[in-house]
Amino acid sequence: MIRFVLRKMLSKKWMVLALLVGNILLISITAGNPMYTRAVLQRTLTRNLETYLVENNAYPGLVTFRTSSSSKDGALLRQYEQGARETSERFGVDAVETADVLYLTSAENELLVPREDAEDKNISIGMMTDLPEHSELVAGEFYSSDEPGEDGVIDAVLSERALMELNLLLGDEVSFPEVLDPSGNPIRIRIAGVFRNRSSDDIFWVRTPSSYQDVCFISPALFESYFLQGDELEYGVNASYYVLLDYTAMRGDQAQQILSVADAYRAEFNGRTIQNYRDNFSTVLTDYLEIAKKVNVTLWVLQTPIFALLAAFIFMVSRQMLEMEQNEIAVIKSRGAGRGQIFTIYLLESLILSVIAFAIGVPLGAYICQVIGSANAFLEFVRRSALPVEIHADALLFAVAASLLSIVAMVLPAVRYAKTSIVGHKQRKNRRSSTPMWQKLGLDFLLLAVSLYGLYTFNNQRGILAQRVLEGASLDPLLFVSSSLFMIGAGLLMVRVLPAVVWLIFSLFKRLWSPALYASFLRVLRTRSSQGFIMVFLIMTIALGVFNAQAARTINQNMEDNLRYTIGADVVLQESWENNGMQVAEDPSLELLYEEPDYGRYTALKGHGIEALAQVYVNRSATMSVSGGTLRDVQVMGIHTKDFGETAWFKDSLSDIHWYNYLNAISQNSRAVLLSRNFQTEYGYELGDTINYRNSSGDSVRGIVYGFVDYFPGYVPVTYSLGSDGLYQEKQTYLIVAHLAQLQASWGVAPYQIWIKNEDGSSYIYDFAEENGLSYTVFRDSDAELVERKNDPVLQGTNGILTVGFIVVLLLCCVGFLIYWILSIQSRALQFGIFRAMGMSMREVISMLLNEQLFISGLSIAVGALVGHLTARLYMPLIQLAYAASDNALPLEVVRYAADDIRLFSVVGGMMLLCMVILGVLISRMKIAQALKLGED
Amino acid sequence: MTDILIEARGVKRGFPTSGGEFWALKGIDAAIPRGKLTILKGRSGSGKTTFMNILGALDRPSEGDVLYAGKSIVRMSEKQRAHLRRTQIGFVFQSVALIPMMNAQENVEYALRMARISKNRQQRALECLKMVGLSARARHMPQELSGGEQQRVAIARALAHSPKVIFADEPTGELDTLTGLQVVKIFKDLTEQEGVTIVMTTHDTSLMEVGDAVYELEDGEVIHGSV
Repeated sequence: MIRFVLRKMLSKKWMVLALLVGNILLISITAGNPMYTRAVLQRTLTRNLETYLVENNAYPGLVTFRTSSSSKDGALLRQYEQGARETSERFGVDAVETADVLYLTSAENELLVPREDAEDKNISIGMMTDLPEHSELVAGEFYSSDEPGEDGVIDAVLSERALMELNLLLGDEVSFPEVLDPSGNPIRIRIAGVFRNRSSDDIFWVRTPSSYQDVCFISPALFESYFLQGDELEYGVNASYYVLLDYTAMRGDQAQQILSVADAYRAEFNGRTIQNYRDNFSTVLTDYLEIAKKVNVTLWVLQTPIFALLAAFIFMVSRQMLEMEQNEIAVIKSRGAGRGQIFTIYLLESLILSVIAFAIGVPLGAYICQVIGSANAFLEFVRRSALPVEIHADALLFAVAASLLSIVAMVLPAVRYAKTSIVGHKQRKNRRSSTPMWQKLGLDFLLLAVSLYGLYTFNNQRGILAQRVLEGASLDPLLFVSSSLFMIGAGLLMVRVLPAVVWLIFSLFKRLWSPALYASFLRVLRTRSSQGFIMVFLIMTIALGVFNAQAARTINQNMEDNLRYTIGADVVLQESWENNGMQVAEDPSLELLYEEPDYGRYTALKGHGIEALAQVYVNRSATMSVSGGTLRDVQVMGIHTKDFGETAWFKDSLSDIHWYNYLNAISQNSRAVLLSRNFQTEYGYELGDTINYRNSSGDSVRGIVYGFVDYFPGYVPVTYSLGSDGLYQEKQTYLIVAHLAQLQASWGVAPYQIWIKNEDGSSYIYDFAEENGLSYTVFRDSDAELVERKNDPVLQGTNGILTVGFIVVLLLCCVGFLIYWILSIQSRALQFGIFRAMGMSMREVISMLLNEQLFISGLSIAVGALVGHLTARLYMPLIQLAYAASDNALPLEVVRYAADDIRLFSVVGGMMLLCMVILGVLISRMKIAQALKLGED
Repeated sequence: MTDILIEARGVKRGFPTSGGEFWALKGIDAAIPRGKLTILKGRSGSGKTTFMNILGALDRPSEGDVLYAGKSIVRMSEKQRAHLRRTQIGFVFQSVALIPMMNAQENVEYALRMARISKNRQQRALECLKMVGLSARARHMPQELSGGEQQRVAIARALAHSPKVIFADEPTGELDTLTGLQVVKIFKDLTEQEGVTIVMTTHDTSLMEVGDAVYELEDGEVIHGSV
């Protein structure tokens, strides 16, 4: 049986190869998704933990068990200690360091040789595990013995800071009259050494040595034997047990478990108000799980159309193959083979294919993940640290599921064919090609109706959608489903409509067509069912390709535009200004005066990195009286119109007339101002009105309204903020743009920002700041922030998946297209023979095929592009919500890169060309006599 | 002396096989009389179809020459041969070779298109269908016609552009005797009334008498010829 199947496969090697390609792609994409998701999330987690380290200057893997106050309960202390010892095991993460720090409540003491400056300082006796290993001595030596010296004095060390605070000297002896050793004598210690941490980045020092200001550390063993025996302790002990878990070893899939262990610890140790158990990673992990959910949903949803396409591809190819094998099946059947046997043949065949595809597809999936991992934007790859991709059980599970799906797709048609006998087959063959099922059912209209209804509802709920995204939810998958349905529906509708178009062209010029074109038109018009699938397939692939490209471009471009717009210019910075604030605090009658830093230093950089720069005064807390009350938090910008125009980033499409016209308008009059549009819509201001606005000190400025703007560099009209009810609220921002000179005349010279347009890159400004030792109170670098944004896992994953989807689409297009045409030629050998016999020249036959290509593939491709554009236009505004953060200031613009279209179409065009060459060769090799003989079978 | 339209001189045709060259035709001399019905007779495998394909400029002989109205069609370019087929020759194949996406009338009209005849195509097509007795089924698609009907459409198509000669390869092969006789009757009428030259192959001995000239082939050689 197997040998028979293998021989059969060999005889159809091209089809089998195509099936194999489809299977490999399907499996690699399915297996790749979980691998990629996990890898990208892992990278995010590690990065978030590292960010925590940098931002909080605290080790992210830290777990602390600390008594809330000094305790005499020995059992309790042991419970804490136990908790700390089990941490690593319970969390499943290795500990890199542990430290136990215990000390007695500070107690009164006496110096052996009293000194005035060292009186009345309470000293605490303590211990720290591994102290000598992590410290170096500034003076003296460490405690060396776990026993008191012969004279009964215990060696102790203390930090430099404690030495100063306590005014002790090396060698001082201190006795504690109220702290007794087990034999009842007062404890006496000697300051044997002074330590500091060995290196400043030693994570062991959760609290720095200098934070132990009154603790003298003695040998831990001694401390324990003196003070920690029994359940009832003599003296109150403060205990902190630190465990530093290796955060770099925390895996994303452990997050849930780690959090529940942390919760268990909290339940065990924490009271309602006291937190004896603390860790640094719980918040990071909780945030991470939110992101993970979002990434998971987004990536799956983005990939679904690709899966659907792949499955359709496999189904199509296997159907085509069966179509070719109909005769064989019928013959086998009429010779007595049961349906079961035929089923087994195809099952075996699909199994063989699946196993090979599995073996190749899974590693390929891992490789694809690496590729997506380096996708920076759509079809752009950068070299960045490799993704930690691993082939894990989940991925294999998905791959198995994909294999099963493809087996079903391959075997299912066979089951149908296995039912027909040779007679039925001949009958079927003679039947006129009928209207396909979906057309009769009106599936296209149904899908369109459903998807458009979805679009309509979503559009109505836009506010709610945006709100939910702000609250951290991922976008409703139904929205994506709706867009896919729209694509399919529109595609099917086109397949229904297209023949009418072809018919129109055909009948309009019926007299003009050459015999070859005439025949090809008739073929296009009358053998619709056989082309239906390739047309739908081509339309879908191209539409998806175009949609993917536009989705990616739109998301990226809008993100970038928003960022640049909100920042306002390539670089925005403000030096810290010296002022007389100290004097003003003492004498409120004084005026606050600033010392303006040298602006000339920046002008000097013109041509050395800076192309243009402008002084921009920004005050976000101005007030203005309007009808019905006072507007607070009004944003006032003071600008130099010419400089500002040359420097600021603005998109022309944001304003009906070029925004320079507004700048020119106010340059006419020193009191002229521009107002944001909401002044007009909400408070009815008009051009020529006079307004008065004040800064926080109450100094008023008068302005004359010269224009209303919807958008202005750096101005966000509406912001969302979390209200007290936990819901996001919309807040209007009002903007007044005035002349800088005018504001400085009225309000004095106050710190202003410097907006800069780079010549090429922003690195010069870092050099400049370093050379001059400058520190900035405001510093925003658009390029740098852009890079930061692009590291967002959702965005990154989206770019990666859309890129891979696009490439897969191109591949499928190629393979599917070639298969269809080669088969179509092969199956029509007899027809070509007739045409040739009737005196058609080779050139005419080829022109006939070209015409067919034009009207089947060409039209499908054009329609696919159209459907893709349409889908993007309709759905992108909604889908984009998922990626827009709260600072989405600009209206969405669906972005389309001609280069993407060119890329897609040149690949498709190249493919058609290749196809034509292959077809040409096939046809010219075809001997008429042979072709006719073929037909005789 | 009869008027000879096509003359075959020492035509040989070999096909490469795994066991060396296989000679389907081993040197055939034959003359096809103008305006007559010539029958090529022989068992399956005797080489008659190969021979006819060569006569009809569909295939080239390995050796020998074929003269069509005195001109060698062997030395013609592929383009010239296509032109010749288009204008002077009509074919009727054993496997009913209608163009599946065209109805009966369009199939016939198509031959006119091919021959670049643009006037009165429809009228001529109907006329030809009438000749084969199928004017009532002009609008039917090939799949909707019986085997005999399809064969008659093929004949109508073959004669639509008024070719000088029609080649028919086993036109009765898949038909019952009665229908077969009908087809031969049509051929006979065509030669007598329209003066068309017809060459047909058959293995049916009962049809032999109707031929004006008969060549019997066996193993690639003419074993009996009567003109």
